[in-house]
Amino acid sequence: MRERGSPLFRRHRPSWNAPVELLSFGLYFLCAVLLVLSRIGHGAINEARNGLVDLSGPMLELASVPAIEARRAMDRAKLYMAAFDEVDRLKKENEELRQWEWRTKLLERKVAQLRSLLNAVEEPALVYATGRVIADARGPFVRSALINLGRKDGLRVGYAVINGDGLVGRTVDAGGSVARVLLLNDLNSRIPVLVGPAGVRGLASGDNSAELQLDFLPAGATLYAGDEVYTSGSDGVLPRGLRVGVVTGSAGAYRVRPYAELNSLDAVSVLFFDAPALARTDPPAAADGMGALSAAPAQEPKAATASAGLPIAAVAPPAGEQAQAER
Amino acid sequence: MTSLLPALSVLFAVVATAVPWGLPADATFILPLVVVMMVFCWRTIPGAALHPAGAVGLGLLADLMSGGPLGYWALMCLIAATVGRRAGSLKESRQVGLYWLIWTVFVSLLGVLGWLLASLYYFRWIDWWPIAFGAAASVALFPIVLYGLLWVRHGRIGHARDTIFRGAS
Repeated sequence: MRERGSPLFRRHRPSWNAPVELLSFGLYFLCAVLLVLSRIGHGAINEARNGLVDLSGPMLELASVPAIEARRAMDRAKLYMAAFDEVDRLKKENEELRQWEWRTKLLERKVAQLRSLLNAVEEPALVYATGRVIADARGPFVRSALINLGRKDGLRVGYAVINGDGLVGRTVDAGGSVARVLLLNDLNSRIPVLVGPAGVRGLASGDNSAELQLDFLPAGATLYAGDEVYTSGSDGVLPRGLRVGVVTGSAGAYRVRPYAELNSLDAVSVLFFDAPALARTDPPAAADGMGALSAAPAQEPKAATASAGLPIAAVAPPAGEQAQAER
Repeated sequence: MTSLLPALSVLFAVVATAVPWGLPADATFILPLVVVMMVFCWRTIPGAALHPAGAVGLGLLADLMSGGPLGYWALMCLIAATVGRRAGSLKESRQVGLYWLIWTVFVSLLGVLGWLLASLYYFRWIDWWPIAFGAAASVALFPIVLYGLLWVRHGRIGHARDTIFRGAS
């Protein structure tokens, strides 16, 4: 047989080395098996993943400090460079907000009067805990983040995660002190939403891009770019009225631009909203008796509301019923 | 310690992939591909040893930290280790450009394979752009990573470069 000319084959090839070749084959087989198990969502895989994430939490928290500080320094530098423009903008915004404050107070008074006339039941308080993103667990197929809150802080799988701008995602894995948040733009993220002042129902789905798709809109629904999108709560997991984003695009290809900057998350809050559907996403057995309520911090409760919620979700609760765990 | 250097340096890169850098959505493939590139380079550099099992272990760690399909980056690292070993047999030619070319071809094929595998995993066509962007970025970064690893291994680049890569001098 003629010897091939490529340098790859010209040199003498090592003879069959059974242990090495078998090991390589075994490793390829192992990868294939793991991919299949991961695809079917095998419990052992999830447990191992949670365990390792918990173990690596402190290391990741330490490793993320320089990156977070560097990002903050860059943000600060940008801010300084545009300081004068920013001051002008903030002054204008402040004037507008004062007018809004006045209007809001009037509306609050009116709502309170109407509620008392209707003898309306008080909406449950939203308890929350604030943590920090310690790892950017984003890959080409996954948009998630690890936060330094876990079951020890009362967190459960399925809780909504917000920041100052709006909804960020929901918890999908929870270890003792670390949890994974599936971001809104992840391929597997589906959020039932209401759109615009008319409250048109739809489903905001992630596709790993910066914006979300808006699907399952009723036929003939009229939306406008800039319409506000917020959670409908019809999945029974997320509270109603959390800000998601604004509508972009045109008819037939509506999309949602999230309010939250999902690429550079820092501090986030987890809403302890114990909806009945949570029994499906995080059965009590999995939570090991460490449900949100049982693990609510023992410290003196402080009055707090979810910063990103619309009034529907962020009804100011009685101070005694609120607990905030801040790390 | 020297024998652990390849694994430690790749471990460092794996941890770096999980750090919240605030990269845009299109750039999410770059850092994991740097990990794969480091595995490839360590298998290419004569005298350095990174066992395929070690490469798989580090890939699994990347999978666990990213929350993605378990075994995906392990498989990519294993393929890189296998191909890197084969490319290492070319060391007699000692041409940096040749290694670069091999990586360019390899990462293009790996990108296609990764895209198909991920599409199969999720039962839908995955957006190809971040993968293509990451592959292109990795091609641009290849010399930096290669010389960086040589520096890590030898403490300097010049001598190692001259003795290993004839085309570089």
